[in-house]
Amino acid sequence: MSKHMITLNVNGEDHDIVVASNKTLLEVLREQLNMPDTKYGCGTGECGACSVLLEDNSAINSCLTLAATMDGKKITTASGLEKGDKLHPVQQAFIDHAAVQCGFCTPGMVVKSVSLLAKNPRPTEQEIREGLEGSICRCTGYVKIVNAVEAASKAMAGTAG
Amino acid sequence: MSSRVLTDFDLLLPGSLEEALEILDRERGAVTVLSGGTDLLVMMKAGFEADKVMSLALLGDLNRLEFDSATGLRIGARTTLAQLVDSPEVRQHYPALWQSARIFATPQLRNTATVVGNLLRGSPAGDCSAAVAALGGTLVMATAGGGRREIDIDDLWVSYGVTARADNELAVELRLPAPDSGTASAFKRLTRVNEDLAKLNVAVCLQMDGDTCKSARFAMGCVAPTMIRLPAAEAIVQGAKVDDETLARAAEAVQQDISPIDDKRSTAEYRRSVAGVYLKRAVQQACGFA
Repeated sequence: MSKHMITLNVNGEDHDIVVASNKTLLEVLREQLNMPDTKYGCGTGECGACSVLLEDNSAINSCLTLAATMDGKKITTASGLEKGDKLHPVQQAFIDHAAVQCGFCTPGMVVKSVSLLAKNPRPTEQEIREGLEGSICRCTGYVKIVNAVEAASKAMAGTAG
Repeated sequence: MSSRVLTDFDLLLPGSLEEALEILDRERGAVTVLSGGTDLLVMMKAGFEADKVMSLALLGDLNRLEFDSATGLRIGARTTLAQLVDSPEVRQHYPALWQSARIFATPQLRNTATVVGNLLRGSPAGDCSAAVAALGGTLVMATAGGGRREIDIDDLWVSYGVTARADNELAVELRLPAPDSGTASAFKRLTRVNEDLAKLNVAVCLQMDGDTCKSARFAMGCVAPTMIRLPAAEAIVQGAKVDDETLARAAEAVQQDISPIDDKRSTAEYRRSVAGVYLKRAVQQACGFA
């Protein structure tokens, strides 16, 4: 096993850490940095619970990313989306629309929604559903999640201009 | 956290192409190449053993995507599916490839998975593998000391999961030919839901002169141990007027080209019954008369 010294910026804060070659970004976040907001679902890139944002707002599966390959990268997790004590509009919309039941998929779902809206600020319902493919929710049936993303889209358009 | 953990391995992170090629030259088959990792890490979590893994993560200059109307499309070894989806030129000039990329896996996998990785996985189900097989092209392989060779896409897949890549070679670029005004292409895939691997996929590329097909390349996945061309169906369409009668004969001829099996995603019987229909629909989609 090889060890690798990396600097990983998570939610605006640099962490100089030594990671083992076989540790995924998800394991490093949860177990080494004690940041359990990013969830372990399937471990094989199918459920989206482990989604985190790269600097360009694209979402990746942290369970299929080797931490050692992330030296110098800036990532954002669900808990890094709020500004001060104000929730991100997507987080607020998830609460307002009861788009959370058990909550396990929620961090990944919120991260994916932020990624979708960064690329397409006014998505149609179909585009929301396509954008959230790869994030599995076993509780809500997705309707409330789609409603929340639509509401967040409107709220963000309002704040932008 | 789970039984799906990665066992120990040494990770090599070369900072230049030449360094990567020297590692391959030294280690030969002892090193496994990791690019996007969306297939390899899943396989490793399921028990595939790799003692040494070489990541291409630091080779930033391999993620190019360049179109030239005279020479065609160049896709670097690290170029992701998401880059293809975002390219207006791929969308306009290579519809089969763009359509396969747009529905490939899921958004976050498209942000990581690479086109060249999909080809080198050697899976008969690869969506952009089908598109590339239909469009035609070559994979540029590099070796230490400046060696280069091109593998025609028709010669890439040897058997299930096995490619013509030698163990000291690194694929650095995929080249697709420039389309002309008569080029038409399309991709279609059959799945239960979009995230699934295909039950069957098909891509077609035709050189048209009015209603007549001058030449055709058809590729179908999930119907043989590798992605395959459909020579019997191609022979019927080439030189013929592309109409309902020709397409019906081509759909029938597909049966000679395929050898599907039962697996957890579908059955041989079902694949046989939809193969011709999907080929016909893909040609109709390519030629704009759905």
